[in-house]
Amino acid sequence: MIASDLLDVRVLDAGGTPVGWVVDLRFVLDGPPDGRLAGARLHGLVVSPRTRSSFLGYERSRVRHPWPIAPLVRRRHRGTFLAHWEDVARVPDRDDGTDPEREPVVVLQVGYTRYTAGL
Amino acid sequence: MSRRLLVVALGVLTAIGGFVDAGDLVTNAVVGSRFGLSLVWVVAVGVVGICVFAHMSGKVAAVSGRATFEIIRERLGPTAAGLNLLASLAVTVLTLVAEVGGIALALQLASSVDHRLWVPVAALALWLVLWRVKFSVMENAAGLLGLALVGFAVAVFLLGPDWAELGAQVAQRSAATETGATYWYFAVALFGAAMTPYEVFFFSSGGVEEGWGTKDLATSRLNVLVGFPLGGLLSVAIAASAAVVLLPAGIAVDSMAQLTLPVAQAGGTLLVAVVIVGLVAATSGAAIETTLSTGYTLAQYLGWSWGKFRRPAEAPRFHLAMIVALVVAVGVLMTNVDPIAVTEYSVVFSAVALPLTYVPILVVANDPEYMGEHVNGRVMNFLGTVYLVILVVAAVAAIPLMIVTEAGG
Repeated sequence: MIASDLLDVRVLDAGGTPVGWVVDLRFVLDGPPDGRLAGARLHGLVVSPRTRSSFLGYERSRVRHPWPIAPLVRRRHRGTFLAHWEDVARVPDRDDGTDPEREPVVVLQVGYTRYTAGL
Repeated sequence: MSRRLLVVALGVLTAIGGFVDAGDLVTNAVVGSRFGLSLVWVVAVGVVGICVFAHMSGKVAAVSGRATFEIIRERLGPTAAGLNLLASLAVTVLTLVAEVGGIALALQLASSVDHRLWVPVAALALWLVLWRVKFSVMENAAGLLGLALVGFAVAVFLLGPDWAELGAQVAQRSAATETGATYWYFAVALFGAAMTPYEVFFFSSGGVEEGWGTKDLATSRLNVLVGFPLGGLLSVAIAASAAVVLLPAGIAVDSMAQLTLPVAQAGGTLLVAVVIVGLVAATSGAAIETTLSTGYTLAQYLGWSWGKFRRPAEAPRFHLAMIVALVVAVGVLMTNVDPIAVTEYSVVFSAVALPLTYVPILVVANDPEYMGEHVNGRVMNFLGTVYLVILVVAAVAAIPLMIVTEAGG
């Protein structure tokens, strides 16, 4: 699986209700050394309820500048949350035999937690 | 002293690609011969705009070590950044076609050898320079020799124009023989050229090439404040020389050869020779800028290793991308299209590329994670936001204006 298999993909909860789109992936660098950095591990998905467009990095911080870009982007992405990778039940898989015509989806576990997307 | 001078070479070379590259050289003379100096205000507005965003992109590069397209890719995500990549590459490669054609036309002026014979020679020379010559040598040579275009300003003074009449033209908002639509088409074209996106790609990547750090913020600012106003002055000087000689004579410019007419009248063969050196250097400089920008944008979007500071074997795909760009440029020119006319269509792609380039720069310049204490102040944010609005309006207006006026008629 590569990052593009997850980015821009619709997210459903366990009951099949749409909860948003994957707008970014959150990695942590805590694996065994890989070159000069520690190896990256996928920590979770940043899910935005209303749009699959980019949050421009505002999800990580409390920055409110420049006006009016920051307030507009924050409004469009209100309700964005972080879903931990452990809370993901199913990811799109090209080889899983499902209908290729159907839209790829990420399905979350029953009782998943909505963490704040801020750092 | 010479070190002081050379420290602004990056800014000068970047500005040459924006204000006096092959397409703009002709556009400036066209504007002077048809509208006098009534569009000088657009150049002034453009100089301030590119200063604002080049300053931010240079600051981000110096503080965070990240070039502009790396930021675009990171902040916009693969889809929107990919759209920007396609639009920016279209603008950059169309400009490169015009530059290679422009070098050939300038060499034809010097040699009377047909420009189509010069095209492969020019492209091969460019490739050798890009492959073998160090970044600092390239920017110093092209930047300094391009200053020979000051010959146009010298020509204006030697012609001894009626300064009151020129001053009156600056205050005009139209020209007697032209429609309002053509006036605004050229206004939008001049503004778009001043703010063309490969300038910030090149400037920020050049900062990384030169190893800028936080201690070099003053160098970045100096490059911006010297380079772009100088580029604007050169472009006004070309328009003024055409306004003094060609406008009263009713000569409409449609080729690069006509640029030298006012210069010849003012300063004879010697001044023409100086100006031709400037034309060759400016078009070569802009060709270097656009070829490198092709490599920078592709490599920064796709995560390849990039930079002239790496040997070709250490950044193979970056160097290969530049060769491909040059081959494409030669291929397009071999179809015998007018290299200058090609650039007119780049405004369509600019409409997509401009906002998708300048929004991420403005956003990252406000991010304390990247910038620490060097985040934008209120004034820079205000100017940046105002210019974003102007950019979007100009970019959207450019397309209908181009259709209505048949690209300036």
